Amino acid sequence: MTPTKTATGAGTSRRVVTTRSARASAHIGRHAQTIAIAAVLVVLLIFFAFSADRFATTGNIFNLLRQIAPTLVVATAMTFVISTSGIDLSVGSTVALSGSLLAIVLQHGWNPTLALVAILALGALIGFVNGWFSSYQNIPPFIVTLAMLSIMRGTALRATEGYSTPIDGDLWIVQIGQGRIAGVPVPAILAVIIALVGWLVLTRTPFGRYVIGLGSNGESLRRAGVNTRKVGLTVYVLTGLAAAVAGVLIATRLSSGSSNAGSGFELEVITAVVLGGTSLFGGRASMLGTILGALTLGVIANGLVLLHVSPFYVQIVQGGILLLAIFANSKVWAKFGAIRK
Amino acid sequence: MTDQEAGRADRVVMRDIRKRYGMVDALRGVTLRVGPGEVVGLVGDNAAGKSTLMKVLAGAVVPDSGEIVFDGRPVAFASPKDARELGIEMVYQDLALCDDIDVAGNLFLGREPRRAGGMMLDVRRMHADARRHLDALNIRIPLTDIPVGGLSGGQRQAVAIARAVTFGPKLLILDEPTAALAVAEVETVLELIKTVSAQDVSVILITHRLQDLFRVCDRLCVMYEGTLRADLDARSTSLERLVSEIVAHDEEDKEGRRR
Ligand SMILES: Nc1ncnc2c1ncn2[C@@H]1O[C@H](COP(=O)(O)OP(=O)(O)O)[C@@H](O)[C@H]1O
Ligand SMILES: [Mg+2]
Repeated sequence: MTPTKTATGAGTSRRVVTTRSARASAHIGRHAQTIAIAAVLVVLLIFFAFSADRFATTGNIFNLLRQIAPTLVVATAMTFVISTSGIDLSVGSTVALSGSLLAIVLQHGWNPTLALVAILALGALIGFVNGWFSSYQNIPPFIVTLAMLSIMRGTALRATEGYSTPIDGDLWIVQIGQGRIAGVPVPAILAVIIALVGWLVLTRTPFGRYVIGLGSNGESLRRAGVNTRKVGLTVYVLTGLAAAVAGVLIATRLSSGSSNAGSGFELEVITAVVLGGTSLFGGRASMLGTILGALTLGVIANGLVLLHVSPFYVQIVQGGILLLAIFANSKVWAKFGAIRK
Repeated sequence: MTDQEAGRADRVVMRDIRKRYGMVDALRGVTLRVGPGEVVGLVGDNAAGKSTLMKVLAGAVVPDSGEIVFDGRPVAFASPKDARELGIEMVYQDLALCDDIDVAGNLFLGREPRRAGGMMLDVRRMHADARRHLDALNIRIPLTDIPVGGLSGGQRQAVAIARAVTFGPKLLILDEPTAALAVAEVETVLELIKTVSAQDVSVILITHRLQDLFRVCDRLCVMYEGTLRADLDARSTSLERLVSEIVAHDEEDKEGRRR
């Protein structure tokens, strides 16, 4: 009795139901990791709020936000790169180079505004080189940016002779790292603005659409008439530029440019992005996830320090999280999604 | 006289097109012409070079040599964008969809409706227009905001076809567009071909369903190992003749090798 009933004229509606459930499962698949990381973040916040006395104070939260600002800025750009199924390992070295050069040119009496513009242009140029080799010459970005990692770190060491260079605290530029607006640290404000703009660009502009398309199926995108090489190059310019911004944030916060800054920074940034649910294989991205991922890493580092855990453990924990996140990304969450790679 | 010549002018002429992939001679000097509103069936064994020839025409593959004349003007396509701008649309054999992008996004890929001075996607208009275009083609995909990776093979093929016919092409290339379609859907596609060709759109159809070719085609072109071996009038050619043109070359070749 029941079978006959469903068989009569229910064809279309059943089809609609199947597609609706496909949409639901695709949505869950896409957002499962973002939801999961949000849950983890809440648990961590509660845990540290109860176990570390000074954790839940305004001062500490602002401090935490200022600390993760460089990570968040670069992670925003890195979300674009990883969405195209690329990677940029050179961001840590670019942080060191831009911070060092900023301090050096300021010491030579450059106008701070000019110095800032020059450093940002340098970051974009480094990204351009990365992008040209990866996107126009089809060399794996992993190798290209690994080589650039070495070149930029070496250049920073050569430029500073290994010493750190102080930045005069009277220059307006130190306000970028140390200033506050209505009590909120400037780096935190900058980072939030950049992340929001990143979210808007990724989800609401043709460029963002093409970034996803490039990671999803680059040849299809090319056949749709999109200049895929230009898109592929632009994302590296974004990470280069973001890394220079991060270098400026760190150097001005510490009032000194050091060639040792930003070591292991690329790992932290990539961890934040992957933790947020962006697929290393490209095509799937979550800017909200990236923001939550960066916050989570910051909370862990900050909380562990407040609990007087040796800072050496922070690095071990971060590496462990990266491994776990990639595992979850490729094994667990993929099962929810309608798409199988 | 001149009027007649203008009336008969070719929509597109490909002359002596050659393309080599390493050791594989995919195209060994192919010449093909299609008139306005004409439907040409392109057949041949697997690996005969049909898809490669059509990719050349769509700008997705740059040939080693040869020339293309479109609407009387010599053209050279550096990218699919160039061909698209002239009104050449292609449904690729592999569909060329982005699995992670939704139905509407794939439909408009590369020419998204924009707002705010071209800076932002007009997502709402995109979904509304996609709905309209799909309905106009009788394509039953209830939701335009699910990624195409989650659709069935037939639905994916329908999206690819919709993308090619929606933006008013002058030349429509269909590379095995019906492979994943059900019987009723194949009928829809054949009707579609008749409709657009009546509106002066030229169509090149690649398919292994030979019986379909006789229903919609004006001419049948047979390819064999990177060459065009036969150019037949569809009305005066029998199925047997077509089949023998497709397979006969095999025997010729075998004899050639034996010698
Ligand atoms: N991108 C490519 N790289 C190498 N060989 C290719 C490529 N595209 C096509 N070929 C080769 O060219 C020949 C013709 O292929 P194709 O045009 O796809 O044939 P058809 O569509 O008629 O089956 C085949 O031998 C195929 O292997
Ligand atoms: Mg083919």
